[in-house]
Amino acid sequence: MAEDLAGGAVVSTDPDGPDGVRMTWNAWPRSKVESSKCVVPVAASIAPIRSSPSLVVLPYHPLRCKPPCAAVLNPFARVDYGAKIWICPFCFSRNHFPPHYAGISEHNYPAELYPQCTTIEYAPPPLDAAAPPPPPVFLFVIDTCLIEEELGYVKSAMRRAIGLLPDHALVGLITFGTQVHLHELGFADITKIYVFRGTKEITKEQILDQLGLSSAGVRHGGVAGAPGYPRGPQANALHPSTSVNRFLLPASDCDYTLNALLDELQLDRWPVETSSRALRCTGVALTVAAGLLGACVAGTGARIIALVGGPCTVGPGMIVSKDLSEPVRSHKDLDKDAAPHFHKAVKFYDNLAKQLVNQGHVLDLFASALDQVGVAEMKVAVERTGGLVVLAESFGHPVFKDSFKRIFEDGEQSLGLSFKSGKKWEVTFVFLPLGSGTLEINCSKDIKIQGIIGPCTSLDKKGALCADTIVGQGNTISWKMCGLDRTTCLTVFFDISPSERSGQQGIPNPQLYIQFLTNYQNPEGQMRLRVATIMRKWVDGSNTEELVEGFDQETAAVVLARYVSLKMEMEEEFDATRWLDRSLIRLCSRFGDYRKDDSASFTLHPNFSILPQFMFNLRRSQFVQVFNNSPDETAYFRMLLNRESITNSVVMIQPSLLSYSFNSPPTPALLDVSSIALDRILLLDAYFSIVIFHGTTIAQWRNLGYQNQPEHQAFAQLLQAPQDDAQMIIKERFPVPRLVICDQHGSQARFLLAKLNPSATYNSAHEVVPGSDIIFTDDVSLQVFCEHLQRLAVQS
Amino acid sequence: MESASPFASGPPRQRPAMVSNPTSVVQTPLIGRSMAPSSSVPLPSPFGSALPGFSRPAATPLASRPPPPGAIPQGPIAGNGPRIPGFTAPRTLPPPSVQPAPPSAASSSIRPPTPYASATQDSGLQSYPGSPPSGASVATLPMPFVGPPASQQFGRPPTSQPLFSGPPRSQPPFAGAQYLQRPMAGSTNSQLPLAGPPTSQSPFLGPPTSQPPFTGPPTSQPPRPNTPQPPFAGLPTPQQFGGPSTQTLTGPPISQFVGPPTSQPYAGRSSSPSQMATPSSQPFSMPPTVGTSFGSPVWPSQPGQMVPSLPGNVQAPPRMFGMPPGMPGQPIPPVLPAMGHSALAGPQVSTQSKIDPNQIPRPLPNSSITIFETRQGNQANVPPSATSIFVVKDNGNCSPRLMRCTLNQIPCTGDLLSTSSMPFALMVQPLALPHPSDDPIPVVDFGESGPVRCSRCKSYINAFMRFIDHGRTFVCNLCGFTNETPRDYLCNLGPDGRRRDADERLELCKGTVEFVATREYMVRDPMPAVFFFLIDVSLNAIQTGATAAACSAISQSLADLPDGPRTMVGIATFDCSIHFYNLRRASQQPLMLIVPDIHDVYTPLHTDVVVPLTECRQSVEQLLESIPSLFENNKVSDSAFGAAIKAGFLALKPTGGKLLVFQSVLPSVGIGSLSSREAEGRTNASAGDKEAHKLLQPADKTLKTMAIEFAEYQVCVDIFITAQTFVDIASISVVPGTTGGQVYYYYPFSALSDPGKLYNDLRWNLSRPQGFEAVMRVRCSQGLQVQEYAGSFCKRIPTDIDLPAIDCEKTIMVTFKHDDKFQENSECAFQCALLYTTVYGERRIRVINLSLPCTSMLTNLFRTADLDTQFACILKQAASSIPVNSLSQVREQITNLCINILHAYRKFCATVSSSGQLILPEALKLLPLYTLALVKSIGLRNDGRFDDRSYWASHVMSLSISLAVPLVYPRMISIHDLTAKENDGSLSSSNIPLSSEHINDDGIYLLENGEDCLIYVGNMVNPDTLQKLFGVTSVDGLPTQLVLQQFDNDLSEKLSDVMNEIRQQRCSYLRLRLCKKGDPSGMHFMSYMIEDKTAGGLSYVEFLVHVHRQIQTKMA
Repeated sequence: MAEDLAGGAVVSTDPDGPDGVRMTWNAWPRSKVESSKCVVPVAASIAPIRSSPSLVVLPYHPLRCKPPCAAVLNPFARVDYGAKIWICPFCFSRNHFPPHYAGISEHNYPAELYPQCTTIEYAPPPLDAAAPPPPPVFLFVIDTCLIEEELGYVKSAMRRAIGLLPDHALVGLITFGTQVHLHELGFADITKIYVFRGTKEITKEQILDQLGLSSAGVRHGGVAGAPGYPRGPQANALHPSTSVNRFLLPASDCDYTLNALLDELQLDRWPVETSSRALRCTGVALTVAAGLLGACVAGTGARIIALVGGPCTVGPGMIVSKDLSEPVRSHKDLDKDAAPHFHKAVKFYDNLAKQLVNQGHVLDLFASALDQVGVAEMKVAVERTGGLVVLAESFGHPVFKDSFKRIFEDGEQSLGLSFKSGKKWEVTFVFLPLGSGTLEINCSKDIKIQGIIGPCTSLDKKGALCADTIVGQGNTISWKMCGLDRTTCLTVFFDISPSERSGQQGIPNPQLYIQFLTNYQNPEGQMRLRVATIMRKWVDGSNTEELVEGFDQETAAVVLARYVSLKMEMEEEFDATRWLDRSLIRLCSRFGDYRKDDSASFTLHPNFSILPQFMFNLRRSQFVQVFNNSPDETAYFRMLLNRESITNSVVMIQPSLLSYSFNSPPTPALLDVSSIALDRILLLDAYFSIVIFHGTTIAQWRNLGYQNQPEHQAFAQLLQAPQDDAQMIIKERFPVPRLVICDQHGSQARFLLAKLNPSATYNSAHEVVPGSDIIFTDDVSLQVFCEHLQRLAVQS
Repeated sequence: MESASPFASGPPRQRPAMVSNPTSVVQTPLIGRSMAPSSSVPLPSPFGSALPGFSRPAATPLASRPPPPGAIPQGPIAGNGPRIPGFTAPRTLPPPSVQPAPPSAASSSIRPPTPYASATQDSGLQSYPGSPPSGASVATLPMPFVGPPASQQFGRPPTSQPLFSGPPRSQPPFAGAQYLQRPMAGSTNSQLPLAGPPTSQSPFLGPPTSQPPFTGPPTSQPPRPNTPQPPFAGLPTPQQFGGPSTQTLTGPPISQFVGPPTSQPYAGRSSSPSQMATPSSQPFSMPPTVGTSFGSPVWPSQPGQMVPSLPGNVQAPPRMFGMPPGMPGQPIPPVLPAMGHSALAGPQVSTQSKIDPNQIPRPLPNSSITIFETRQGNQANVPPSATSIFVVKDNGNCSPRLMRCTLNQIPCTGDLLSTSSMPFALMVQPLALPHPSDDPIPVVDFGESGPVRCSRCKSYINAFMRFIDHGRTFVCNLCGFTNETPRDYLCNLGPDGRRRDADERLELCKGTVEFVATREYMVRDPMPAVFFFLIDVSLNAIQTGATAAACSAISQSLADLPDGPRTMVGIATFDCSIHFYNLRRASQQPLMLIVPDIHDVYTPLHTDVVVPLTECRQSVEQLLESIPSLFENNKVSDSAFGAAIKAGFLALKPTGGKLLVFQSVLPSVGIGSLSSREAEGRTNASAGDKEAHKLLQPADKTLKTMAIEFAEYQVCVDIFITAQTFVDIASISVVPGTTGGQVYYYYPFSALSDPGKLYNDLRWNLSRPQGFEAVMRVRCSQGLQVQEYAGSFCKRIPTDIDLPAIDCEKTIMVTFKHDDKFQENSECAFQCALLYTTVYGERRIRVINLSLPCTSMLTNLFRTADLDTQFACILKQAASSIPVNSLSQVREQITNLCINILHAYRKFCATVSSSGQLILPEALKLLPLYTLALVKSIGLRNDGRFDDRSYWASHVMSLSISLAVPLVYPRMISIHDLTAKENDGSLSSSNIPLSSEHINDDGIYLLENGEDCLIYVGNMVNPDTLQKLFGVTSVDGLPTQLVLQQFDNDLSEKLSDVMNEIRQQRCSYLRLRLCKKGDPSGMHFMSYMIEDKTAGGLSYVEFLVHVHRQIQTKMA
């Protein structure tokens, strides 16, 4: 079981298939009752704009079914070539091909009808071909309530970033501490800073008015650009409105200024009383940033890149008072409702999120601090806007440094800001103009959409397809994604509710169809519509076998993890462990093969076989066992869980373990304490961290320097191999994982031990294989877990 | 900065040339020169090294005086006296009795001068003797003229007239005239007599002759003498000497002043009135004729007219008033034409009814220096006029510069006070600039224990605390409590009952001392000297050059800030947002920090907004240099003044300090924004005039509330308004008014001519002696209690006033009321204690003591009344009632006060005399003139702009006595003939009365009130003179915006000297304005001619008539 698992994720070529869609059930139970018996919800994980080498791009507008269906012509449509008619698979309407499809025939049909083109992209010619695409906009929001050293790291990271920015990108700078400093970059004569107080909530209108950007433009005499001024038709990066030029300048014009500002950037000078935290007004800073972008570049892609070094202690969005005697809220406080600022802060960030979504802007959060900074509260703003989040201990830590750099980097590992496409793992940010950065879902009758978990926001576009129960961003058939990259993944939850009529109709359609329409602007600024149409089959409820065949346990594990995380956040007193246990037991009861009350007879179909282990690890993971983490960490982990691909998410739930030894090539090892050996090196990939663990003997040899001796080349290679593999992983991952290199019995070894199945504890110390290790825990081991599971599953 | 202490007397520094006006260079900014910082050391020289006083020949008071006989000029002291020729005879009497008053006052030594003067005067005056009649008892003062005198007066007038009139009309006279100038004039007259009585005589004689008549009528007058005053100069000379000199003095002085002038004028009037009133009695036919003549207002026409003209006035009044029953016939009809005719003849005749304008009381400048000993023989001396030059010897009472009372004897009861109608108040100017020769204010350090204080009332030890019981206890002179003497302060008493060490311990022998404050007096360490500049950079300010002027002024003034690490500065600019600057920055440029939230402001930095000057001077200067160009293209026309001062305050909050704001437009946005009320007021004119005064009240309480908070944190706000339009000073001035600051007003601001004044004002503001975080309290003897304080301060508790800043010019008025009676021979003590921090960070308590005798005699009150102080008091009260009452009410109040005072005197002090006489107390003889001037002043004029009026009111509230008088009654001198007057010496002796009668078309005149300086150019001025003074050859070629340049010729140099002298004297650079005849500016100038009849006001003579009429009515 374990081995399958370890190999599975890494080896499989493209688990997501050409459409970038993975479903918990690939065969759907036909009735609501049946689906509820399936325990694992019917859900799909989609990567709306995953890059695919085989993707076909059509230079014209799609052909759409008549409203209200409006589905796009797809390979599953029945086409009557003679009559030049196509029948929509969703609504069964008959549509005539328009005149320009006149040449269509059985041997000559358009690409969108090719069977292999279930996913296809349309790139209709822009309305105004002459208009250059708007430049990307980066507004940096930097915390200055730091220690000198941290500020130094921030500066160097910023300098590097500025150097990497595309020339035409617009850049703005806000620094904050006790107050917010908005730097006017376009003022040549003197360094000019607008200062906002940190204690007071200000509205967008006030900000605009105070900056002289309000539509009236009264205060500053000149006619400022109206908010939301359409910037499309402007010359490259040059804004007509002078007000924009004051705060957002093309990188090529202001890099000198920016560097000079960074050189002089000082720590916040406001005095900090002893026994107090520094006053830090993150909330107001973000409000100002959002207000500025709203005024200057509403509707075009812009990112607020916030570098935060501590908790917000003043003003709106405050998460803890400045009094040091009050600790930052813990999960326990949240549980007991003893976090006085939490709900207020969440509400504030929720409003901020709404504003940003409305403007089509993204909030990226880079938090670096030993204590919490309020990611838990800010999560909503980051997630709704599709922003990136990186949590590190220090701005000097590689987790921050390298992740930050990667946003701007050009090249293979870059996140693609250069907007060159085609790299396999390229992560490209896409700036979505207002109104077009959307996902729409169409599906067959009898299927309702409950909602989406992931970095998007409901557009509240209700339709017949909306289910009554809501999961995540629901009650809509249309979502907005302000920040979207090629790895972004969303989880769509479906509800099966056959209507009376459809049930009565004679021959039920054996297929179900779902169409995902993603409107986005590609890195070149072109508007694209990606259409992914998938077909699955209905299964009669009684036919367990077909259901089992269609089960995807990895997806199921991830969906369950996401679902349970959401429930933990949304529902008070929700007992996640218990819920998971009961779900697993029900699932096993339903799909296991056993004799009643005979646990020994219990077996599972291979499609289910790893699920119990996933569940075992999920129960122990940071997603469920939140009390080992701060709310910030939990929020961080969940945000990544919600936006990563199934493959990556599985690693978060159940880390992979590789073993390196002289005797064999690197092999996947059991995620068990018994995998530890004196003469092995273990490489643990827990997604957020990567641990290289040297057995005692290896560590001793290394300390003696054998690897430097020519005769011990092999040893050197052995030492090097896990390092290389770790770097491979790190390169591909964003945020950059934390790399821990440790030795057996070392203090850092806890990073490994925490993830291992405690098959050997101090209770079983006498049975331990020499050279292996034990874990000091009372947790049950996987074996015990499975025994119990079997027993309970077979109970009648 | 210069090493020199700010106040050091170093050579006057030249004003750095302002960019815009070259001229400025020429003019030495003497103003800046300041005195010794803490008063303790009189370094002194207030203004440039050369004190006017010194330079003048007159130096020794005593000595100089004597010469008098001949030299009329001295008159200053003697003043008007001389004028009246007629009355010689009477003199004789001037019995001591009358003088009594004087005597008392009379510390002989001091007085001396006066006496002499008086003597002279007397001589002149005495003629009146008859008139003096006012019972001796009454006090000499009164004299005024009885009906008869009137005639005499007239007589006089004529006499004098010839002189005068002559001058005016016919040039020849001129020369003389110049000398004569008002005051002079008087003197001249007298001179004449002396010199060759005969010559002049004709005129004089005339008068005398006339006198007889008077005497006749005045029968009543008989009285005598006290009147030494009889002012009329000419005649008496001889007599005067004889009698007067001695006794008199005191008496005389008064009499002199009053007497002469008063009497005459009054007489004149009285006569006229009297005539009117009691036609039967006095008014002889004569008057009428004259009167008629007057009617013909045309002075210009003939030389002789002089006299007539006056009469004319007289007549007019009567008509106006209508009142005088008797009057009817006489005055009016008569001889209009007559006027011209014979001065002599006419005069006499007319005399009775008419008033001779040349004889009526006017201030006589006094250029000589007197030495004033505050006490002698354990008696308080009556201080010399606040506007005269004197040197103080502190003998137990404080220098009158620091504190003086409207009454130099305290009425024993409240009833007595209210009977007199006189205001009862102290004017306290605690840091007043000393004369260089004044006794320095000693600093006394009691060490750890701090100064000895009364344990009950907490008053400070002073010379009037009585030690008893072998020195073991002492009795507080304020509350009467008997305290134990602290052990280490014990000292035996000498045989005279004084402590043996009384003369060594300065606090026991000086009226003013400064104690070193102990920790007990500090809430925190003494604050540093912090100066924060706020500069308006809105569209208007930039375009008018106000910003550039402000920056330049600040930049140049930095050098005058107190030296040392304790001096901190900060700069911010504002338009519709506030821009702070981080001045301590490594990089080349300062950093601008903008605070955009003007509804709820804050400071953008905790540190570095205010920086030590020594460390950051360069960046400050650089910033100031670049501000005008930074905002060159600023298009923002709004101004967030309220928010800006709030922000500035927040920057100063931790330390306190001075906030200097340069504001150019109406605050239109943010906290405390104001609306253009003036325009609204105008459109609503119908609702109007009754509500007009509401526009002089602050628009709302926002600024007041802010100001109180400022004061609490020791932030003082000074506002320099460089406006072109209405800025609502009524609202704005609340802030400085509450924080101990002041408003400077440049309207309309001119980038050409105003930067010079702006710079000098700022420089003086920064460098003058001043203190911070001050608290002041005035205590008084039991029997009185403090009623109210008035001035620029914040009052949070009833007894003390808080002064975030106090400087040498700020004056606080303290009014009192009786709550008990005083014993006749006791003394009433006042003690002002000012706890403050010097610019060098020393905490000091300045204790100013004044102990005055109590009296139950109304005559004593009048005799020792302090005109200047009373007038300042009236002025301030008028200013404070402007926003509350309508203008006409205020004017009426003032006039009534004047009438009531004179009435009280007339009723209770003057000897029996015919009701036809207007009798003025000698000490208050100028009261009607000042009252008239006040009624016509900017603040009370109907046609004033609201801002002008508000500014005037706020300016007046903290104005010192010595500046209060000229503000209302400006000084005018001629400058086309400066060189000719050279031998005459000082300019102050050549004042011209404020009457258009004395303005000639071929003359150039300078008029200054301590604030503005108007130069009037007639339309017939000699081109050569123009060339010399202004570098142009025709009147038309004169620029509208005047910048005085010094050319290389005597006249120009002389003018320059004169300007500098005035500037030094006024501690003000003066705002120069050129007025041309026939121009609106010329009209403006003429509006200062207080003695003229104007659309809205009476002429001086008419006013006297009016006053007289009112008194008569009351008497009846």
